[in-house]
Amino acid sequence: MMSANRWMATGNYFTTYRQEQRIFATHTDRLIFALFLVVLFSWPYFIELSTKHMLVVDNILIAVIAVYGLNLVTGFAGQISVGHAAFMGVGAYTVAAVAGVIGDQHVLITHAWPLMILLSGFTGAAMGLIVGLPALRLRHLYLLMATLSFQLIFQWVIGSMELFNQGQFMYVGRVHWFSGEVGRSQHYMFWYYALLVTVVVSGLGVRNILRTRYGRSLVAVRDNDRAADAMGMHPGLTKVFAFGLAGFFAGIAGALQAYLNRGAGFETFTLHESIQYLAMTIVGGLGQVTGCLFGPAAIRILDLQVESLAQWAGGILPSSLDLATGLRPLSFGLVIVLFLIFEPRGIANWWRIIRSYVKLWPFRY
Amino acid sequence: MTYFFQLVVSGIVVGSIYALAAIGFVLIYKSSRVLNLAHGQLIAAGAYITYTLTVYCHIPIYLSFVLSMILMFFLAMSVERIFLRRLIGEPIISVIMVTIGLMSIIDGVIYLTPYGSENLSFPSFLPSQPIVFQGIYISYTQVAGVVITFLLIGVFSWFFRKSTVGISMRAVSDDQMASMSIGISVPRVFGLAWATAGLTAAAAGGILGNIVGLNFDTLHAFGIIVFPVVILGGLDSLPGAVAAGIIMGLIQQFASGYLDGNWGLSGTASLLPYIVLLVILLFKPHGLFGTHEIERV
Repeated sequence: MMSANRWMATGNYFTTYRQEQRIFATHTDRLIFALFLVVLFSWPYFIELSTKHMLVVDNILIAVIAVYGLNLVTGFAGQISVGHAAFMGVGAYTVAAVAGVIGDQHVLITHAWPLMILLSGFTGAAMGLIVGLPALRLRHLYLLMATLSFQLIFQWVIGSMELFNQGQFMYVGRVHWFSGEVGRSQHYMFWYYALLVTVVVSGLGVRNILRTRYGRSLVAVRDNDRAADAMGMHPGLTKVFAFGLAGFFAGIAGALQAYLNRGAGFETFTLHESIQYLAMTIVGGLGQVTGCLFGPAAIRILDLQVESLAQWAGGILPSSLDLATGLRPLSFGLVIVLFLIFEPRGIANWWRIIRSYVKLWPFRY
Repeated sequence: MTYFFQLVVSGIVVGSIYALAAIGFVLIYKSSRVLNLAHGQLIAAGAYITYTLTVYCHIPIYLSFVLSMILMFFLAMSVERIFLRRLIGEPIISVIMVTIGLMSIIDGVIYLTPYGSENLSFPSFLPSQPIVFQGIYISYTQVAGVVITFLLIGVFSWFFRKSTVGISMRAVSDDQMASMSIGISVPRVFGLAWATAGLTAAAAGGILGNIVGLNFDTLHAFGIIVFPVVILGGLDSLPGAVAAGIIMGLIQQFASGYLDGNWGLSGTASLLPYIVLLVILLFKPHGLFGTHEIERV
């Protein structure tokens, strides 16, 4: 029997695997999640944010979607990807290139945008599968090299092909909703809701994937690929699958970014950005779905702080020094290194500690 | 035909620097199985240290070249000591991610110095008149670069074959447990591998800076091409690194010599190495000379 009280569980009383695999262990968890969602959906009615801060919030949500994918590859499947920004770029440039070919005010772009976003997800997934292919032949972390070269090939292709405007900014039209065109004043608010829905749906999706045999085989291959092989999983295909999934989420995130920024530019998909996404994943917590929410928020906020620090220091120091370009990689690198050394389980671990403290309060254990 | 040989010559010049740069990477991989993503940044740092010593401290370039190698030796050793020593025993994936962090950190530090945005070039210390042989041009700097590169490669192969330290490093790369049991300090070997990698990186950076000038983006791009080189040569093979370096140099020169400008292509020299990398990973994952792993998973 499981614990009679599903509201106040003091420990794990699972007696079947079904119980253990539940997304919400107790009713309290479910209630808190629902309340959290209500807060997320309703706060814009009570608090007015400036456009700049709304953009930051939107960017955090986009990064959350991208980090879902990266965390599947790095946290769950145990492969490093330093080409995640390029996968996002594939998504963004799918939208942008279609817009470039059929015109950025075409119905397909402005009305059928959910379809475009899905399409970008699939092109991202296709690229992920291709880059993941060497996993069929390789063990160890050589795939890192494949993702690195994908990143650089992507940059070359974008920078030199006419279809992608040779890396110059490409415009994507404003989208339409039931109430008509989404104007400038509602733009960030509209995309906040669109992104929020995507984040929630894909978050639950990731949780569910991890419960299926495919998701569990990711973790099994990460922990011991020989054992996984002996149990009948195919380690190579599992890794390819992980890369496909990562590409899918990155593609969706990229397409959303293209719509949010009303276009795609080359400079948001560089190697530095890829490292930034990796930093988000590490800071949030590798192999933790909740970490996908903490990491992007932490890094984006850090980014803002660095920017204002650079601005403040720029007033004092000679202007010839471009502090922001230097401080950004420096701070991301430091964050990666310090978290890996001192808190390899990321912010999600702090969250876990707080939760278990609250759960058992007023007892110690 | 002269054009062809000109391309061959410059390919060998660039390729030998690749070889020198790749050696450091292979050293770290061989001893500790860590893919050091920050290697390109070590090369850039070496180049800038050499430049600083030469221009701002007015040290003759021969001396500053050696000095920067010594400095980078200790710098890389302290990087290992500070960041990587505490991760011994952690899964290798976190160590590699730490090197990605290091890459970002060194990038940031270089951007903070004036070097990050400027184009600089070393004061010329050799006659600027190129050597002309049968219509092929080679500058003295290039000749000096190639000579120094091959000298260093020779020194290293001697070091790994004959010296006790070198042999103990090879032993660690072969089997960590066994080498511990015969009294080799594995952490010390890791430190030494990083230090030697720093030394070769400084040498490569110094030579490169003299030949192509100092621009952070160029150095950056150069540093990343080390990865295709080592994959082509096989990650754990020193002769492979040398051969692959030269092959990669030739591929790049031929690409920019014959492909660019035709069929509307441009900048293929910076693209081909990565395509080679992907193809090698797909069809010959151990590279040209790398150790074949029998187990297939």
